Amino acid sequence: MAGDFEPKILGIFCNWCSYAGADMAGTSRMQYPPNVRIVRVLCSGRVDPQFVLKAFELGADGVLVAGCHPGDCHYVKGNYRAERRIALLKEMLKQLGIEPERLMLRWISASEGAELVKTTEEFVNMLKELGPSPLRKTS
Amino acid sequence: MPVKVMFAQLASCWGCHQSLLDLHETLIDVLPQLEIVFWHTVADYKLHDVEKLPDGSVDVGFTEGFCRNEEDLHLLKLTRQKCKLLVSYGTCSTYGSIPSLLNLYSIDEALSRKFKEAESVVDGRIPDKYVPKMLEYVKPNREYVKYDLFLPGCPPEPPLIAEAITSLLRGEMPKLKERTLCDECPRIKSEVIVLKKVKRDFEGIPEPEKCLLEQGYICMGPATREGCGAVCPSAGFPCKGCMGPGPNVMDQGAKMLSALASLVDYESVSPEELVKTVKDVIGTFSRFTLPSSIIPKSVFKKK
Ligand code: SF4
Ligand code: SF4
Ligand code: SF4
Repeated sequence: MAGDFEPKILGIFCNWCSYAGADMAGTSRMQYPPNVRIVRVLCSGRVDPQFVLKAFELGADGVLVAGCHPGDCHYVKGNYRAERRIALLKEMLKQLGIEPERLMLRWISASEGAELVKTTEEFVNMLKELGPSPLRKTS
Repeated sequence: MPVKVMFAQLASCWGCHQSLLDLHETLIDVLPQLEIVFWHTVADYKLHDVEKLPDGSVDVGFTEGFCRNEEDLHLLKLTRQKCKLLVSYGTCSTYGSIPSLLNLYSIDEALSRKFKEAESVVDGRIPDKYVPKMLEYVKPNREYVKYDLFLPGCPPEPPLIAEAITSLLRGEMPKLKERTLCDECPRIKSEVIVLKKVKRDFEGIPEPEKCLLEQGYICMGPATREGCGAVCPSAGFPCKGCMGPGPNVMDQGAKMLSALASLVDYESVSPEELVKTVKDVIGTFSRFTLPSSIIPKSVFKKK
């Protein structure tokens, strides 16, 4: 059973770096796991913690937020905000009995298609180890 | 003709009823206009006093508290059935409030803590006879029955209650104010806030006029609904959010967490330091609204 588990991941990527990085991975024909459904936002600082909680509530096994490297944010400080929000959110998830590792924040630039592929592969493997989210509706 | 009213106490601390009594002289004008058909919190009414009332025969019903066990749920449904208009009275009834933070624990853990492990207990045992069955976790009352009016506050402030009751007596639906608490707070706010340090409530002495959040205190104003008259910040104490979420806020805790994270100066406050200062994330940001949050309870470990 455990071997068949394919985690469902929501990727929330910033337009300027990580989404462009995903685009680059795509156009360079790099393969990455199909488990991630990507949503594009203008900035990782736009990622409202309510979106993340909603994704878990709807049964996501993991949420990957990706933005520009520190210092590179198109809007100057958005990624620093994201970093602090995610740190607090992980604590909130812990209190709710959800493994905080299910929420990941990574910096991926527009030229780092390969890094993006590696990150998603690692995340998928880690979630396979963890198993389905405890909030997944039992069918 | 007096207006028939009933007050149902579910799982609660009685603080909301206490706040009603804090209306003092206003009660002298109001009471003669009311015919109280059930108020087991203050007089010896029994459940059958409600059960025998014809359905829809009570003009206004108030519920204080949430459903912690099957008896609470029975009384809540009964109250809805007997009343033309149902008012959710206080934050326990509206969002869950502080006692429903117990949603972070399982019933077994809670019972064991209270009846066996508490420091004052000697040879404790968990009562199992003549007690109603506990519900697994607290849900907001509105998930069980339909309400006509929500009057939040832990407890609701007397002027808010007076306003609501007097408009109900005039036959009008009270209109609650809808902005965020900061809009009614008299403290002085600047355009841009950059927090060099986040403080716990006991650290230092707040400046008398400046916005508390700007001074680094975790004041829930930006994520909270107005209506209490901003009593806490006016008295020098950061708002804890007891009026529940402000307009367009789905999850009060997530909203405030987000607001605080975006106000801190990233060069002065690291993510680790922020987490360390806040300490109890849910107890700080979702203190009054856990059952109404996007994820309303902890995922209890299955035995
Ligand atoms: S809302 Fe607050 S004051 Fe009212 S019953 Fe609940 S805990 Fe007590
Ligand atoms: S954050 Fe608090 S102190 Fe500042 S304006 Fe809002 S309610 Fe008042
Ligand atoms: S200031 Fe905040 S905590 Fe105090 S009564 Fe108003 S809403 Fe409640």
